[in-house]
Amino acid sequence: MNSLGLSATDLATAVKNREVTAAETVAVSIGRIAELEGKVHALLTPLYDRALARASEIDRKIGKGEDAGPLAGVPVVVKDNLCMKGIRTTCGSRILENWHPPYDATVIRLLEEAGAVIIGKANMDEFAMGSSTENSAFFPTNNPWDLERVPGGSSGGSAAAVACGYAPLALGSDTGGFIRQPAAFCGVYGLKPTYGLVSRYGLVAFASSLDQVGPFARSVDDLALALDVLSTPDPADATSSRRCRPGYRACLGREDLKGLRVGVVKEFEAYPVQTEIREALGRVEGILRGAGAEFLPVSLPTTIEAGLPCYYILAPAEASSNLARYDGVRWGLSVEAEHLVDLYMKTRGEGFGAEVKRRILTGTYVLSSGYYDAYYLVAQKARTQISREFTEAFRNVDLLLMPTTPTLPFRQGENSEDPIQMYLSDVFTLPVNLASLPALSLNAGKSPGGLPVGVQFVGPRWGEETLLGAAEAVERVLGKPAAAFGGEWV
Amino acid sequence: MKQPGSAVIGLEIHVQLATASKLFCACSTDYIGAVPNTNVCPVCLGQPGSLPVINARVVEYAVRTALALGARVGHFTRFHRKNYFYPDLPKAYQISQYDLPLAEGGSLPIGEGKERRAIPITRLHLEEDAGKLVHSAADGRLGHSEYSLVDYNRGGVPLMEIVSEPEIATPAEAREYVARLRQLVRYLGVSDGDMEKGSLRVDANVSLRREDGSLGTKVEVKNMNSLRALERALEYEIGRQAEVIATGEQVRQETRHWDDGNGVTCGMRGKEEAHDYRYFPDPDLPPLILPSGFVEEQLRLMPEMPWVLKERFCTDWGLSLEDASVLTEWPGLARYMEGCVRCGANPLRAANWIRTETLRVLNERKIPIEKFPVSPEDFTALLAKVEKGDLSTTLAKKVFDLMVSEGMPLPAAIGRLGANSGKLEGPALIAIIERIMERETGTIEEIRSGKDPKGKKRGFLCGQVMREARGQADPGEVAKMIGEILDNQ
Repeated sequence: MNSLGLSATDLATAVKNREVTAAETVAVSIGRIAELEGKVHALLTPLYDRALARASEIDRKIGKGEDAGPLAGVPVVVKDNLCMKGIRTTCGSRILENWHPPYDATVIRLLEEAGAVIIGKANMDEFAMGSSTENSAFFPTNNPWDLERVPGGSSGGSAAAVACGYAPLALGSDTGGFIRQPAAFCGVYGLKPTYGLVSRYGLVAFASSLDQVGPFARSVDDLALALDVLSTPDPADATSSRRCRPGYRACLGREDLKGLRVGVVKEFEAYPVQTEIREALGRVEGILRGAGAEFLPVSLPTTIEAGLPCYYILAPAEASSNLARYDGVRWGLSVEAEHLVDLYMKTRGEGFGAEVKRRILTGTYVLSSGYYDAYYLVAQKARTQISREFTEAFRNVDLLLMPTTPTLPFRQGENSEDPIQMYLSDVFTLPVNLASLPALSLNAGKSPGGLPVGVQFVGPRWGEETLLGAAEAVERVLGKPAAAFGGEWV
Repeated sequence: MKQPGSAVIGLEIHVQLATASKLFCACSTDYIGAVPNTNVCPVCLGQPGSLPVINARVVEYAVRTALALGARVGHFTRFHRKNYFYPDLPKAYQISQYDLPLAEGGSLPIGEGKERRAIPITRLHLEEDAGKLVHSAADGRLGHSEYSLVDYNRGGVPLMEIVSEPEIATPAEAREYVARLRQLVRYLGVSDGDMEKGSLRVDANVSLRREDGSLGTKVEVKNMNSLRALERALEYEIGRQAEVIATGEQVRQETRHWDDGNGVTCGMRGKEEAHDYRYFPDPDLPPLILPSGFVEEQLRLMPEMPWVLKERFCTDWGLSLEDASVLTEWPGLARYMEGCVRCGANPLRAANWIRTETLRVLNERKIPIEKFPVSPEDFTALLAKVEKGDLSTTLAKKVFDLMVSEGMPLPAAIGRLGANSGKLEGPALIAIIERIMERETGTIEEIRSGKDPKGKKRGFLCGQVMREARGQADPGEVAKMIGEILDNQ
């Protein structure tokens, strides 16, 4: 059988039932990458040999009648800011170009324990700073639906890989929308979990209080399965919640959405959003209403006003501290220098790209004595207020329906000269990170020009179940998103 | 106290906590003598992606110390990042506590009797230690080094910083304060408090009061590796500042390094760097909220405080303050003393012997009391033999030395020295008795005229004979022979 086109769920079942071997599955995946990578450039480091070896191991396990796990033989692409022992992990940066972590990220371990086969590490904006993957120090990734356009970012490589069918699943990280925005741009599902649901241990930090690892997939079922595997509590991450997780996949399959209250944010109505996206919102609203959901207006005045500046103070502040360790002393790039301060300046000067430097400078500035109170502290207060607003809104509704992005995928270079314009593309996604909420971006069709159009559901903390249920209702009507380049997806 | 020119000293003490693992990871804290960069992991090396998780034992130790100082333990505290670049700091920030320390307030008593006073404590907080740099230059300093090496074994070792209020008036008081704090952490079992090994590090802030009584410019003095160095450094620094003021100049705000060899404090060359540490709450660590019952449990585990113990040694056993101070300096020593008394030792005699003999042995052999080979039982039995006159003091010390050097039990040691009681007998013993009887005619007269109803005076005579016999006679035999002489007359 041809494994191309199977969902992760079906693929794992087929591998376990010996209808196809893990090795064959991985080979198909590698073939697909070989066919398309020259156009898309989604991967920084393919891991073919390792993947084939892992696949044989899984086949041996299955041969011996052992349980190979819920993701047995499923190829997975992971963002290059997730540490894999002995595997080059660059974060899209020159400064880590040749860094080989001595340990596995918890999510990598969980994936592999579940039988997944990691086939490559995906391109990204340097240190996850960017919304287009153009900030990768190595090369930009192209949008599979229009190679002239960006795949979004910072998890652009992961989103493009899933859209191309390199693998049915990929991992990204979302600090301000970096899973959802590329998911929308590439026409796949992307889930940003509640802060604390998925371990951050081994995720190279951008902004620790906002970062969260999450999955990309082409079906709601796969998204739920991935979440079941990833959401294990982790004692190595002090911010990992110890609360009990429901079985996300087990929660799927509800007949209708009767009693579901969906909120629409009044303040976002006035915000300039491309027509195709407005239409998609209407389409999704219609489907949800049809399934029995009711719609209510909610108000998030501080969020719309303060979200963006608040984010662009707090995230750089944390980043300036998180990225201080790249000093040329221990690992990563180290530029020959006469004196210690020279070593710091040369290594960081040559190792970091312009956007990273911009954020480090901003972050250093807002934490400096004399400015801390005016920037960092005010932003923290705004963050608290934004959280309160969402909490208040979720007293009356079970989830929010919002645009993922104000625009369709933009052209390469279109925004890269104007950082502010680039920052504005995160306006609908980043408040979700500030409030530590879960959100799911789903594909709601194509524009007349053939570009994917995404919208997102935002839930209360630990509300992943509700998001998946609503997405499933939409999927029933619109079908699973198609793969780019004519993949034969179900 | 508030006179112009008088010194004002505040101390910041870093105490390395004696936990088995580091503050935020499971690596061993046992770095002394370890091969460089072997007690390390992704967390304490600050490898990208790694995250800290607080060691609960560290919190227990710090809370216990806070309680001993009578400080208010914060039930809700948090950790901040102190950002600065240095090769020994792998993350380029130190995780420390800033606006909400683990404990605030409290005090440490110093001095005795009327002199006794409490030095108020400002705060107690937790932070991680840095790694260690080894510079290639001959003077061991960065300046002229061709290269420098860094060992991260110490990085992430838990430190408890205890900051005193600037209410220490003299170098001697400062020394006393540090000695008391060191004693306290040893009693609590939270640190070995060894200054030379660096498990207790003292930084001093020193200033002199101005004419109007206000505080003068503060100078920070570092690198004092012993109590004596601390006292000398402070004396030097106070004198230096007084001289600067006397010449009409301003004391510069700076950090000065104590040079023990030359007995001076030195300012940093060149201009002081103005540090902006850009403190902000560490987003990797949620606030530290002590569970209910946590503080109570630590309170339950508290040993008797050394100052309480000292008082008890004085009042219960009549020891001098000096004896009590010496014997309570180390918790093990105090336990040993208590063990002896529990076995029936005379406290005064035991105190005297421990101070002169036991401490001598400990010093000579450089061992802690826990490794002292003579058990309190044997020690007490030995003292009892001396008391009863079975052994002369001189002989007892020989027996003691044998017990120490050979690790022998008491009877074996006595046997080895041929000092078994009853050895001296016959004509030699009679000769001694006769000599004593001749000397003590007055006493004999009194006994015979019936002035010794309780037999105390007979006992005295026996004692004199035993002493003369260096404890080698059988006390029963001696008593019998003396009785015969007295009754026969």
